[in-house]
Amino acid sequence: MDWTRYRSSTWDELVGSDGQPRPAARPLIEYLSGLSRRELAERQLAADVTARVMGITFTVYSEGRNVDRTLPFDLIPRVIERREWERTAAGLRQRIQALNLFIGDIYGKQKIVKDKVFPRALLKESVNFRQQCVGVTPPLGVWAHICGSDLVRDGDGTLYALEDNLRIPSGVSYMIENRMVAKRVFPELFETSAIRPVDDYPAQLYDTLAALSPRPGDTPVIALLTPGIYNSAYFEHCFLAQSMGIELVEGGDLFVGDDDVCYMRTVYGPKRVDVIYRRVDDSFLDPEVFQPESVLGVRGLIRCWRAGNVALANAPGAGVADDKVVFTFVPKMIKYYLGEEPILPNVPSYLCHDAKERAYVLDHLHELVVKPANESGGYGMLIGPRSTKRQREQFRALIEANPRNYMAQPTLSLSTAPILGEKAPEARHLDLRPFILSREDVYVTTGGLTRVAMKKNSLVVNSSQGGGAKDTWVVDLEEGA
Amino acid sequence: MLSRVADNLYWFSRYVRRAENVARLVEVGSQLQLDLPRAARFAWRPLVDTLGAGEEFDRWHGEGATPSEAEVVRFMLVEPDNPLSLRGVVGNAREILRTVRETMPQDCWVAINDLHLYIEAGAERAGSRRHRHEFLARVIDSCLRVSALLSTNVSRDIGYQFLRLGAAIEQADMTSRIIDAAAAGLIQPRAAEDVEAFRAMQWMSVLQSLAAYQMYRRHLRQRVSVELALQFLLKDREFPRSVLFCLARIQAILPQMPPRRPVQQAFRRSLGLVFDADPAKLAASGPCDFMDRLQVELAALHGAIHESYFVG
Repeated sequence: MDWTRYRSSTWDELVGSDGQPRPAARPLIEYLSGLSRRELAERQLAADVTARVMGITFTVYSEGRNVDRTLPFDLIPRVIERREWERTAAGLRQRIQALNLFIGDIYGKQKIVKDKVFPRALLKESVNFRQQCVGVTPPLGVWAHICGSDLVRDGDGTLYALEDNLRIPSGVSYMIENRMVAKRVFPELFETSAIRPVDDYPAQLYDTLAALSPRPGDTPVIALLTPGIYNSAYFEHCFLAQSMGIELVEGGDLFVGDDDVCYMRTVYGPKRVDVIYRRVDDSFLDPEVFQPESVLGVRGLIRCWRAGNVALANAPGAGVADDKVVFTFVPKMIKYYLGEEPILPNVPSYLCHDAKERAYVLDHLHELVVKPANESGGYGMLIGPRSTKRQREQFRALIEANPRNYMAQPTLSLSTAPILGEKAPEARHLDLRPFILSREDVYVTTGGLTRVAMKKNSLVVNSSQGGGAKDTWVVDLEEGA
Repeated sequence: MLSRVADNLYWFSRYVRRAENVARLVEVGSQLQLDLPRAARFAWRPLVDTLGAGEEFDRWHGEGATPSEAEVVRFMLVEPDNPLSLRGVVGNAREILRTVRETMPQDCWVAINDLHLYIEAGAERAGSRRHRHEFLARVIDSCLRVSALLSTNVSRDIGYQFLRLGAAIEQADMTSRIIDAAAAGLIQPRAAEDVEAFRAMQWMSVLQSLAAYQMYRRHLRQRVSVELALQFLLKDREFPRSVLFCLARIQAILPQMPPRRPVQQAFRRSLGLVFDADPAKLAASGPCDFMDRLQVELAALHGAIHESYFVG
């Protein structure tokens, strides 16, 4: 594979602007340089076959049918040096601690509002604020047990936090499976380099969930609640339930008795459930309090949770902090609750709720990315530099009609990494989603899921919109050196 | 074991067993037809009824019409509008497996998915006589492969008991339905006096469809008669597709499951019925009424299992 002409228009994760590999990526690039195009193609084929055989799929709804697709996997891993990763992980720990304190505060005394650090008006209009959660104190004071934060790197090499997914973040199974594929394809590199393992996650997740059991002492009964086979992440639900050895349940498998205890329907009769890792959105969780027509959830579940008879991860209402507008306050939360300076900077943001910032946004629509507060999957965004005049006018009207619902960020020059092109490596934009588990301590995955835009120049990495994935290596340069 | 998962395992196993039986039935029908002299013709309709697809069939081609053999076979095997076709049955098994994938061996999914893709891609082959044998052989092989994967690779936990239970009930039911079809007359001689002449041939093909002919010869060492065929298919204690054998298997499974009185009661009624059956009398008077009663009892047993374990 010929790297001599590989250049990126921005920061590249593997190759510096002088065309030389970055230190952590040097063994990888030297190794790849020694492989012929045919050998590489063979390995890519082997990777694709492995992925298909392992059944790594996500479900896409198209033409009225659900189709299982494999997530495109690019062979060339993304490499992060260990020391950089440790700094990043410390920043992620700090963020999630502040976020959990914020959620607890919002459903408790609302000190941050009384101290005028967080505007009351924003809280009032938050669609993810759940009145039913006010006054609840979940075990260990943790609301968001599982968080998936998206990180991006700008052209100057700075790593920014882009958003924190505190509702039902997905993708961790791809992180683990990508590693399994990479190990089969590049066994030589794993033997010679100090690549940190990632497969500890299911065990860590199990411990996180088990710690929440309302019946400490007994072996807890833990279940993963899935919306079912038509959900795009169903493969992941199966994968996680299987790797943890817990039950995979659907709403119909559970019921809440008159004793406010949650039970599974089993062939032996009802069996008490202690902890539910729910992959069903808040609003479908309990028809008694949320969407009354929902069949995905369990009637009475919130009642049972409030009584402390079952633990839910993540706790209902945690999404109040998973909002692109609330996101802009995370640095202030870190200072307010922890008295620390943020380690990981936020992507700079403008709040349309604020008259001055709104005026700036409306004047600079052509150079900003405008996002609605509560969309995910990359939908409903305006990418200013690539927009038409008509789209900009449409967003101007949307913002003016509902300023609380919009925020804007400068268009970052997202970093790239090489993917295996037809003839040579080609640069593609990417991001990184580490997963953070909160219990008494905080666990951060080693690296995370690297999502890559497979289309040239595209900035959208979401799997539902043609994105792919790469294995992510945290490499220790000191070990064995 | 979640009730829903148990339900799915039970039905998965039933569907796989059903697909295999349907394929065998069509295969034997196709072979038999080639052996028939001009004086007789093969009646496909009882086979359609075996699948419980009679009404569907009438709606599909219009009552009273005489569809060609290729049309009937197409209807039974691959017609997308017939949910009871082989294709529909395999599709159901696959859909169910999607929902319980995490509890079953990965190879099982690969085998069922391959079979599903083969049927989808090869639907046209099934209609043509030249390719039909190859098509059906592949289907039967795949079903047996799944059964083998289950019996060699699945732990003998409670879930496995539901897989076994599904297969046993389905086979008992299919065997009784196939006897029923045979009794209704698979061969229709053009002259009424030829009925006797074709009777043995007909029962021989029924035994073949249940892979029972060879075992029948080995154990009974006699020419095929209606009485002996009924004796063998209904009451043989050693042949695994006989109704009594399937019931004995259920009897061995039930103590390994949480005890439920309605299931025990329904089981005893099915067993009693088969136990008391007299093949000689059934051969003389025609076994159709008896088979109907048996199917009602098996349905009641299924209902009791459903209520006791799957509703939760």
